[in-house]
Amino acid sequence: MTRLVEVPAQFDDRSFDQFAAAYAQATAGGERLLFDAHAAEWASPYGLVGLLAAGAAAGRRGGGGGGGGAERPLLTVPASAEVVSYWARAGFFREAADLFEVHGKVPKTKPATESEVLLPVTPVRAAEDVHVVVSTIQQRASAILAKELGLDPKATMGFAMALSEACQNIVEHAGSGGWVAVQAYNWRRKLARRVVVIAVADAGVGFRHSLEPSQAKRFGDRWGDAAALEAALIQGVSRFRDPGRGQGLAGIRRYLARWEGKVAIRSGTARIAIVPGWDDDVPLRNGLPAFPGSQVLLIIPEQGSTQA
Amino acid sequence: MIQHIKVHEVLQQSVAGFYADLVTRPTGRAVRESIERALSAGTIAVMDFTGVGCLDYSCADEIVAKLVREKVRVLLLRGTTDAHRDAIEPVLLGHGLAAVCERPDGTLDMIGAREPAAALLEELVAQQVAARTPGGAIALTAA
Repeated sequence: MTRLVEVPAQFDDRSFDQFAAAYAQATAGGERLLFDAHAAEWASPYGLVGLLAAGAAAGRRGGGGGGGGAERPLLTVPASAEVVSYWARAGFFREAADLFEVHGKVPKTKPATESEVLLPVTPVRAAEDVHVVVSTIQQRASAILAKELGLDPKATMGFAMALSEACQNIVEHAGSGGWVAVQAYNWRRKLARRVVVIAVADAGVGFRHSLEPSQAKRFGDRWGDAAALEAALIQGVSRFRDPGRGQGLAGIRRYLARWEGKVAIRSGTARIAIVPGWDDDVPLRNGLPAFPGSQVLLIIPEQGSTQA
Repeated sequence: MIQHIKVHEVLQQSVAGFYADLVTRPTGRAVRESIERALSAGTIAVMDFTGVGCLDYSCADEIVAKLVREKVRVLLLRGTTDAHRDAIEPVLLGHGLAAVCERPDGTLDMIGAREPAAALLEELVAQQVAARTPGGAIALTAA
């Protein structure tokens, strides 16, 4: 038997919990999963890398009730040719081919060189991958960050630095590979202006598991996904004893504060965000539907007045 | 004696692949270990960042902070960009450490924790490696 996981029509960080709830419910039975994206009209980079993480986790649990088998989950591609084409240009299907049994016609398009896709969906498994990501983003993004977002050209290096640290969280903490994608687009929801969005996702162990040996005792009864995210993002703690660790997320926060940006991290059943004035997100949510690994969202808005 | 480190060259020699960016812990560790093999303990070292692209916090910590903490007496940073210093400063501050930064005009500035930084400049002057300029700044006399 196959269990259905519906991909939201508008698939981004806001609808991700709906997706996670469907995923959690479908995985309860141990059957093979079918990710149904036929009604998808749009997906943000966060949605795309999150869907890959779901595919990775579903494949790992072995589907089919076989317990550890290698049967891949199914994926039906969006019905809209335009949406499929965009997902292909964003590099999604190149990665999805390894994780899903893909059903539907997928155009053989190379990942885009268009201006919106600053970095197509890119796997991050090792430190070498982070080098490639940082090098690529500097070649492609500096002009766009300066011209379209009005960032000081010097900010490009900080952008690469933030991206590097976000990707390294996968390499050092996830215990599995993950994906990163960077896109620029008009963000109409609250801001009505251009933004650059970095999305990083993995299906690894998550923040709580990573920090548990060093932090659980300190938090006592409060220990859980929310406390782990708070420890990592707000207090800058790391699972490593080396006193220099934990700088990465703190550095991301400093960079985003300078450019009125937003950071949100979802892991397990919790989500934490540093919310700038132009957004109305909730700083900490707990008790969300469980989802494997960690998903990181960084948003840098076009500079100027940032009234919502 | 002042020892010189060209970071970009060390990066090319230490890591497979032609990278200009100092990113990730493993890269930082490889570069630092190469530098440590060439440096005498307790030395004054000039670390030249010319040609280095992105420097992230992990590498700043792995290379600069650990060399200052464990290996050199004074670390003088040369050829740094604003972005390099943005990565190095909080890392040094986090450890209560400091280094000396050479400005493009040759005068010296402090980076990191204030107290140890001031002591480093005084030591460079006392060692006659640096001297006060007529304008009141401090600049290297050699190197």
